[in-house]
Amino acid sequence: MQCERARELLSPYVDGELSADERRAVAAHIQGCRTCEAQVADFHRVGRTLAETGREPMPKALALRLRANLAREAEKVVPAVVEPVAFTAPPRRRQFVTPSFLRQAAAMAAVCVVSALATWWVLGTFGETSRLEQDVLAAHMRSLLQDSPIQVASSDTHTVKPWFAGRIDFAPDVKDLSADGFPLIGGRLDYVSGRRVVAVVYKRRLHTINVFMWPSSGPGDAAPRVMTRNGYNLITWSRGGISYWAVSDLNAGDLSQLQGLL
Amino acid sequence: MEAAYNLAFWLVRSRTDAEDIVQEAYLRAFRAFDGFHGEDMRPWLLAIVRNSAYRWLNNRRRSGTVISLEEAFAEGSEENIDQLAANEPTAEDRLIGAAERDYVLRALGELPPALREVLVLREIEELSYRDIAEVTGAPIGTVMSRLSRGRGELRKVLARLIEKDEPDAV
Repeated sequence: MQCERARELLSPYVDGELSADERRAVAAHIQGCRTCEAQVADFHRVGRTLAETGREPMPKALALRLRANLAREAEKVVPAVVEPVAFTAPPRRRQFVTPSFLRQAAAMAAVCVVSALATWWVLGTFGETSRLEQDVLAAHMRSLLQDSPIQVASSDTHTVKPWFAGRIDFAPDVKDLSADGFPLIGGRLDYVSGRRVVAVVYKRRLHTINVFMWPSSGPGDAAPRVMTRNGYNLITWSRGGISYWAVSDLNAGDLSQLQGLL
Repeated sequence: MEAAYNLAFWLVRSRTDAEDIVQEAYLRAFRAFDGFHGEDMRPWLLAIVRNSAYRWLNNRRRSGTVISLEEAFAEGSEENIDQLAANEPTAEDRLIGAAERDYVLRALGELPPALREVLVLREIEELSYRDIAEVTGAPIGTVMSRLSRGRGELRKVLARLIEKDEPDAV
């Protein structure tokens, strides 16, 4: 590769944005060209300096003001909480992609960005609904706000399941449902209502689904119950002495399908 | 949100103005959420922040306190990086010292906004070219050439700042 041509490509080379062929050609050129080699080193060094020291720290007060602004704005548009619907209701009964849904989603999304404050917001908008639902949804929100919702990342049930052994005193259901369109992402431990619970994370397209599990308190199995909170769908059921909660912004129909598979 | 504030700050280079811009941008994003159809919210949100910042810069320009963006952007645009690349490899060694970070940040501040923003988005926020293209509304090829030029210019300004402060060093 000509030096002149290589120089044009040094910047995208440093960024890893070249095609494989170009990358190889530039790498080969750099081997034998001290000027280009020095320039690449320089780009790396200045880039590192910028990455390490270039970020202007955000004032704390700004986060508070934003929270207040968005909460005020959200109050104007978030409709009343929808009551739980029976699982037998047609799952696509509600039209989900409506302006009000999107605004709700926007409210959630905007507050997501105000990360540390999300739990407060969820709790603040719940009113009289059950503590447990609040906790489950708050745990779901927390997981989305972290860089990664999982502690053990694997699509392999034989990796995820043993990870929980010794961390929790029951054997959770971990299934590989990628063939059904619910790829397994991983698992983590979480806290809901003061108890340590298992959270298994699945995906459906771009939606993240948390399935929480813990030993149920009452005897017997409970049929699935679907509810909607702040644009999120929740399904709870219990089986074989385990309580399950599935939470996602996924539509209720798809979430019910996952429930059926678990 | 840190990325939003950081981008606003580097564009307008004032903390209080950056705060106002972020607040305005978030409310606009919130109200315009129906218009969001992408997969990743971050570039979309940063594009709104960027638009707010540029509107603010344009207002300031109209009030006559700074040179125009177009002028700022055009300046030096004909120069290419060959010249810089022709510098002796030893020259950049001097760029690296105890004070380098101060120089790098000062130099970044002196670049025209169109080059500054792509460097901020790439080096600090680590966005892909595709995402930077979405934020800036420019084609990916333009993003690539601006980054290339931005890095070249940054190097040149760095050398100039260091020479000015430490004439003996260069």
